[in-house]
This record gives sequence, C-alpha cells and structure tokens, in this order.
Amino acid sequence: MSDLIQASARDLSGPLIELTDVKTHFKTARGLVRAVDGVSFTLERGKSLGIVGESGSGKTVLSRSIMGLLPPKAAVRHGSIKFEGREILGLSRSQMRGIWGSEMAMIFQDPMTSLNPVMKIGRQIAEPLRIHLNMARSDAWATAERLLTDVRIPEAARRLNQYPHELSGGMRQRVMIAIALACGPTVLFADEPTTALDVTVQAQILDLLGEQRRDRNMSLILVTHDLGVVAGHTDEIAVMYGGKLVEKAPTRSLFANMKMPYTEALLQSIPKLTDPSHTRLSVINGRPPDLVNPPVGCRFAARCLYTQQRCREEEPPLVVTPEDPEHSYACWYPVGSPAYFEAKARIPSNSTVEVL
Amino acid sequence: MRYFLQRFSQFLIVFFLVTFGVMVLMRAGLNAPGDPARTMLGGTASQQQIDTITARYHLDSNILGQYWFWLKGMVWEGDFGYSVQQNLSVVDYMRPTILTTLFLGVYSLVWALIIAVPLAVYQAYKRDSFLDKSGNFFSFFFISVPALVFAPFIIYIFVTKLDWFPRIGEKIYPWDDLGAHFKNFFLPVVVLAVPLSAIFVRLLRADMVATLQSDFITLASAKGVPPGRTLWTHALRNSLFSLLTSVGVNLGGLVGGALIVEQYFNMKGMGFLLVSTILSKDLFVVQSLSAILVATVVLANLGIDLMYAVIDPRIRHARALS
Amino acid sequence: MSIDLEEPTATASEAPTTLVVTKKPFKMPRLGWIFGTIWLVTLSFCALFAGQLPFIREYSAKVKVNGRAKSYGWGPGWNAWFGTDKSSFDVFARCIYGARVTLLVGVGATALGLFLGGILGILGGYYRGRIDRVTSIFVDCLLALPPLLLALLLIYRLDDLEIQIWFWKVTRPWEITITLGILAIAPLARIVRAQTISLREREFVLAARSLGAKNGRIIFREVLPNVVPTMLTVAFTGLGILIAAEGALAFLGLGVESPQTWGKMINAGRDDLAKAWWATLFPCLFLLLSVVSFNLIGDQMARRFDIREAAI
Repeated sequence: MSDLIQASARDLSGPLIELTDVKTHFKTARGLVRAVDGVSFTLERGKSLGIVGESGSGKTVLSRSIMGLLPPKAAVRHGSIKFEGREILGLSRSQMRGIWGSEMAMIFQDPMTSLNPVMKIGRQIAEPLRIHLNMARSDAWATAERLLTDVRIPEAARRLNQYPHELSGGMRQRVMIAIALACGPTVLFADEPTTALDVTVQAQILDLLGEQRRDRNMSLILVTHDLGVVAGHTDEIAVMYGGKLVEKAPTRSLFANMKMPYTEALLQSIPKLTDPSHTRLSVINGRPPDLVNPPVGCRFAARCLYTQQRCREEEPPLVVTPEDPEHSYACWYPVGSPAYFEAKARIPSNSTVEVL
Repeated sequence: MRYFLQRFSQFLIVFFLVTFGVMVLMRAGLNAPGDPARTMLGGTASQQQIDTITARYHLDSNILGQYWFWLKGMVWEGDFGYSVQQNLSVVDYMRPTILTTLFLGVYSLVWALIIAVPLAVYQAYKRDSFLDKSGNFFSFFFISVPALVFAPFIIYIFVTKLDWFPRIGEKIYPWDDLGAHFKNFFLPVVVLAVPLSAIFVRLLRADMVATLQSDFITLASAKGVPPGRTLWTHALRNSLFSLLTSVGVNLGGLVGGALIVEQYFNMKGMGFLLVSTILSKDLFVVQSLSAILVATVVLANLGIDLMYAVIDPRIRHARALS
Repeated sequence: MSIDLEEPTATASEAPTTLVVTKKPFKMPRLGWIFGTIWLVTLSFCALFAGQLPFIREYSAKVKVNGRAKSYGWGPGWNAWFGTDKSSFDVFARCIYGARVTLLVGVGATALGLFLGGILGILGGYYRGRIDRVTSIFVDCLLALPPLLLALLLIYRLDDLEIQIWFWKVTRPWEITITLGILAIAPLARIVRAQTISLREREFVLAARSLGAKNGRIIFREVLPNVVPTMLTVAFTGLGILIAAEGALAFLGLGVESPQTWGKMINAGRDDLAKAWWATLFPCLFLLLSVVSFNLIGDQMARRFDIREAAI
C-alpha cells in the first residue's frame, strides 16, 4: 500500500505538509456547519506545531481533515492538502490507507475508549506492523515489545498479553503512542492527548511525545485547548477560532508578542500559581460563534473586549508582523496597537481582565 | 469460579422447581390411591395391573416421595421411566424424535446465523444505504410473521404450485440418502430459520452500528487497517452480546417449541411427542421429556453465560473478582 | 469521536472523501403505524358490529351453489369475497367473527401479564435482595419451558380439572386468556425489573427518599410513571406475539369452540391447500396483518419513548 506513496514523486525538499485554503463543512439537518473555514499553513519536516483553541473552534476537525479520517458521507472538504508535495485531499479511503499508520499516525483523546477492549495489547500494536511492513507474527511481537519499552512501560513482555482494562489511563495512552509510533510515521497527530489524564501523568506523556519526536525526527501536530500544554512542547503555535486561523507564530515569538486579543484571553484564562488564593478565574465571556451562520466581520468580535465598529463589518485578513516574518495574525486592532490601549482604557475596572 | 457455582446452583433450582411443577400439574386431581396408574393405563385396566404399576413406581407415596423416586431413578439408574401405554421405555420411545428435533434445531440455528451475521455486518457498514433500508424492512416483516402463517404460504408456493418439495416429510437420515434428507428438511428449516435470522439481524445490526462509532474503530482506520478486517476482527467481537443472549432465549423454542412446524410438515419431534403424551396422560413420558427440555434450555443458557466471558476479557476479569 | 455532528454517521465506510455532495437523507414518512392503527380499528369495528353491518354475512349462513351447500363451492369473488370453506361458510365473515375472540383474548392476556409482570418486576427491581432472587427464579422458571409447550400443558390440565370458583366457571376462553397472560409475565417482568433498577438510583428517586418518602409512595409516584411507557411498548409488541400464540393453540386443537378462530380455520383448511387455498390463506393474511400492525405500533412507541430494541 505504501508503494503508492513511494511511486509518486516524493518531494523531500519542500515542506512536509502544506495546507491551502482548507475548508471542511458538514451537512447537517440544521444547515452547513463550517467547522473549518479556509485554513492555510505549512509544516516543516521534523517540526512540531500546536493547534490551540476552545472546543468548537475546529481544531479537531482540522487535524482529522488533514488525515482524511472524517466520515466521508457528511464531510465536504475543499482546498488543497499537500503531503510531501503530493495532493492528498482527493484520495479515496483505500488510497489513504497506505498513508495511515505508516506515514501519518494519530493519538486520540480518550485512551479509555480508543483501545479495542477485547484485543490483547500486543496484537493491537503488532497490527499496523503486520499490515504495512508485512512483518511475521513473531517479528511484529518483538517489535511491539521494544516499542512498549520505548514508551517507558515496565515489564513490556508481560503487558503484551494483557487487555486494555488491566492498564491505567496513563499506561493506555502510552500504548496508544506505541501504536502510533509503530511504523515510524513522518508526522504524528496528537488530539488532546492529555485531556483525559491525571495532571501528574499529563507532563510525563507530553515529555514522552517530545522525546520520541526528537529521536525519530518526526513532525508533531499537537491539538489542545490548553496554551500551557503547547508552550513547552512545540516549535510553532497556531491559534484557531470559529474555524479560522487567527494567529500563528513560533512559540517564543507568540508568547513574547501576542497580537490577537483572543490569544491573550486564552493565556489569561490559565490560572497562575503566583495568584493569591481565591482569585477569580478569568473567563472569556460569551459562546463560540454559530458555525452555520458565522458573523460577518471578525468572528471574535462579539466576545472581544476591544471591539470597534470595523471589527463587526470587515473580516480581518491574516497579516505578517513587522518584527517576525513567521508571525501572522488576523486582527484590525492587535494587542499593542494604539486603538488597543484606547479601548483598554475604556474598560470598566471590575471587568474580568482586571484580575491580571 | 464462585460466579460459576452461583449461576449453576441457580440453574439447578430452576430445574428442580420446573420439573416438580410439571409433575404437580400432571398429577393434580389424581388424588385417590391408584389414580395415577389408572390414568396411565386407561379405563379398561384391571386392578392387578394398576397395583403392579403403583408398587413399581411408588405411586402410592406422597407427591414429594414420587418426585424423589422419579428423580433418583433418572439420575442414579438412568431410568427415565416407562411408557405404560406404548409398553416401551421412555428412552426407546423418544429416540426417533430426538434425531428429528436435533436436525431441525441445528440446521435452523446454523442457517439463521449464516444468513444473519454477514447481513447485519454489511448493513451496519453501509448504514442507511438502500440495502440497509430494505434489510431493515424485511427483518421487521419476518419478525412479525408467525410460523402458523409462514408455513402455509411456503407450502402453497413451493409444494402445491411449484412442486419442488415433497408435501409430507418422511424421516430420512443423512446416512441413508443425503439429497433426500436435505430436500426433506429444507422447507421446515426455512420456516424456522428465516424469522430467527430476522431477529438476529436486527439485534446484531443495532450493536454493530453502536460499535462502529467507537473511538477504537476510528483508531483502527488511522492504523491503516482495511475495512473488512476492521469489521470482522475489531467490531464484530465487540457487538455479539445481544445476539448471544437471543440465541439462548430462542434455543428452547427450537428444541421443543417447533410444534407448529412439526405439525405442518408432519415431522415428529420432541415437541410433538410431548404434546401427544400430555393428551394421553402418559405421565412418565411427560415428566422425562420436559425434564430433558428444561435441562437443555438451562444448560444452553449456562453455556451462553460462559461465552460472554470467552468473548470479553472484562467480564472474565469482573467474574474472577466476584 | 469528539466532532460535533448533528447526525450520527458511520466512521468506517468506504467512499471518495472529496467533495461528496450528500443527498439529503431520505426520510421515510412513518406510515407504518398509521396503517397498523387503521387496520386494527377497522377490524375491531367490523368484528364488534358484524351482526349489524350489511356486507358481512351472518356467522352461520351457508353460501349455496345452485341452491345446494357445496364444500369449497365458491372461490374468492363477488358471491363470497374470500370464497367459502369446507362447510360452505363464508370465509370473509368467519375471518371477521374470528377477530372477536382473538382480540379479546389477546387484550385480556396482555392486561393480566402487565399487571402480574409489572408487580413482579417492580418488586424485584426496587427491593433487590431476597425478593429479587425469588422473583427472578420464578421468572426463570417460566422461561425454562418453551412457551407454547407451557401453554399446552396449562390448558390441558385446566380443561381436565374443570375449576369452578364460586359461580365463575373457568371456561376455555378464560383458560386461554389466563395461560397467555402467564406467558406474558416473564418478558414484562424482566424489562420492568431492569428499568426499575436503573430508576431507583436516579436523582429524583434519591431525592424523594431523602425527603423521607415511604417506599410505597416512591414506587407509585416516582417509579411507576416512568416504567409505564416501556411496559406499554412491550405490551403492544407482546400483543402481536400473543395473538399469534392464540392462533397456534387453536391450530393445535385448543381453541375456543365458537365462534371459529383464525387458527382453527387455518388448521381446517390446510390439507386442502391445493384445492382451495383461500380457505387457509385468507385467515393467515388476517392473522399476519394483525401481528404486523401490533408490531408497527409497538415499534413506533419504542421510537417515541426512545426504548432500545435489545431491551425488548
């Protein structure tokens, strides 16, 4: 199956993944849901990208759109998705199957429901090996054991013969990672890999992901609602809101010089250890926009603290910052601009932002 | 193990209660001494015959005593009793009917599963397609068709009009003439198997549809597992519970409850025999036959219970803990 | 899947992924249950007023051919819509009269089953423990023998015993009703028990209990109203099965003496299928349509109350 990819010209010099104006719409009874509405970006080989946004921002749909894992009957995709220079948006599921597991792999949010409850761990890890690499059963089993050791699961040999319900949540997520790593993919999608886990386990899993990425020279797309998660673990961050990319920058540049008020609000909603106790949690008021009938102007306008008339009428384009050509944002009055300070001055003092 | 013992003891209780209940029901109203024997022998029996039978089978003791002697005879001596009317041991009397029932039941169950499983899997896979919708329609329809109605239609079409099959089935064993054997059993098996497979399709399809929406199925796709393999190895095994339960529930009906089909196609199975002996009040045959039926149903359900554990390691785990 | 989709979709299907223009899912209007209701209402009406309606022959009127009664004298046609049977009675009229007993027995048996099964299920599910064990074993016992055999056994014996309670003599129709009612207990008790178990842990029941409500009050005010929809749904589906069982009993010679029932008509004509198919197949059709109608209505109720099929 993966011959399909090898046969076609593999462009190893260009970007690994290149998205141009990707739109994913769902046909529903209520109308067309524009879950992803015109997203473009590139991801270089070996780099890691964090996609951040609250629930309903389209980040999960985006990652599944790239992989082509959406239910084909309901989802309509437009635009172009190039993987190693080759257009993959038009491929059928059977063509994609050669890429899934071997070139692109995915880790799901809930390790409790993502492993087959009636199949031994070993078989679940060995399965992609046997399918993509045509390994013999014993070889696949040995590789599976090595993979389990790689993801720091003690007593790997014994675990192979266990069932998912015999492992803890953290262990299961490690098994998921082992499955994803099995065929040595070039890019790994991790969809909220730590959300369902204990706080103490979260950091371990993230460290493991980062470490495996470096060891295997793999690209990583980390989808999360938590800016704190991506902060230390990705090279770049893309912030999504209402199905659109609203800010994208190298991690350092983003935290040093964030432009989009939404990014700012997201950051402020993370509680800080240095806050005095009983500080009120900062929240973003309102709800994400209706993706069936999205608002005309900036999609964040209704919830933004610094909204001007123009925000409601015209949609801001994605522009590059003067300081850093890799940093782009979509806002008329970005954080730090005169209009921003002007608006901030007008905000009553008991507003949520005041907490900081 | 403790779980198994607990279930087993519960099944034993059911077995004893039902067999005892059948006995009480059959003997109700026969209170005078010698009555049971007289009933079995018929009105013309001499007092001497009645006394012999009464003494031999302890029919003069109270009902519990009679139950005890019958049970003891069956379990310890393998003596299922004696058909006074046919002058045969119950075992000999039953022998030809057991084979008929076995053929009917096994063929029907196997065919119902052979039809139902692939159909349900395919319907769940191609959900809401034309085939799925027509499958749903037909399974709904055939669930509603009673054998009483299904059989005459089938007979009218295939026997009266087309004349493809013999009207009255003679008992032909597969080792005598395989072709004739299958020809003989074909229609009755159709009448039994089609509604059964309709039930199976409906249950399995519903479970499969639910399973196909789980995360681990998406993961299987993301691993690059082809759809056939996803369906048969990942989804099916996680969707078998309702189907298994239903097999257990319907097994009893296949063994003893195929009365209508047996009647239409003139195949004397165990159900047929039981009915005729209830009518003629051949007490021992009724008791032993119903005991065998109850034991079959109860053991089948115990087997199904064990199957759950074979299929799902979580159930194994939970039971080991209890 | 964490994608918010309005409609559930299969995830493992094979189809090209791009630019699929999905047809709007074709919604079949649910005509089924309307058809079922119309059939049952019409049938009950005709059966009830069979004597008054002009197009239904009298029960004992023979349709003669050239002035003489002739077995299977008429095929389906204008003289006798569904033809005439062995004793030259009008098959159509008999089909209508046959509905009387069948529907009455079916409804009576279901009511009995609902009452007894409901009590057993609620008691077992609510109190659990020893009561639950006893009721469960009782229900298991009812399921241990194939239902048709159990029915035969009960009816034969009730026939022999000729029970008379004060001035109420248990006649054949009563025997059949009681027996079928007993058959209906087990499935009803099972599903009611399962529902009650899940209900008794729900917040509103816990709230009532914490307010000091007595068990009896909780059962009648909190549990029962929530179990009734399920019970009725199962009862409708069960009604279909019960009237089929009544037909089967009549077929096996355990029917009601008069009026003729569908099962008996099927039995009487089945050896002459080649000669006169109408005498057997029309009553079959009536039985089939009625069973299908009850199932259609039950199905609609299950949809309406969102009851999972597997539970039934």
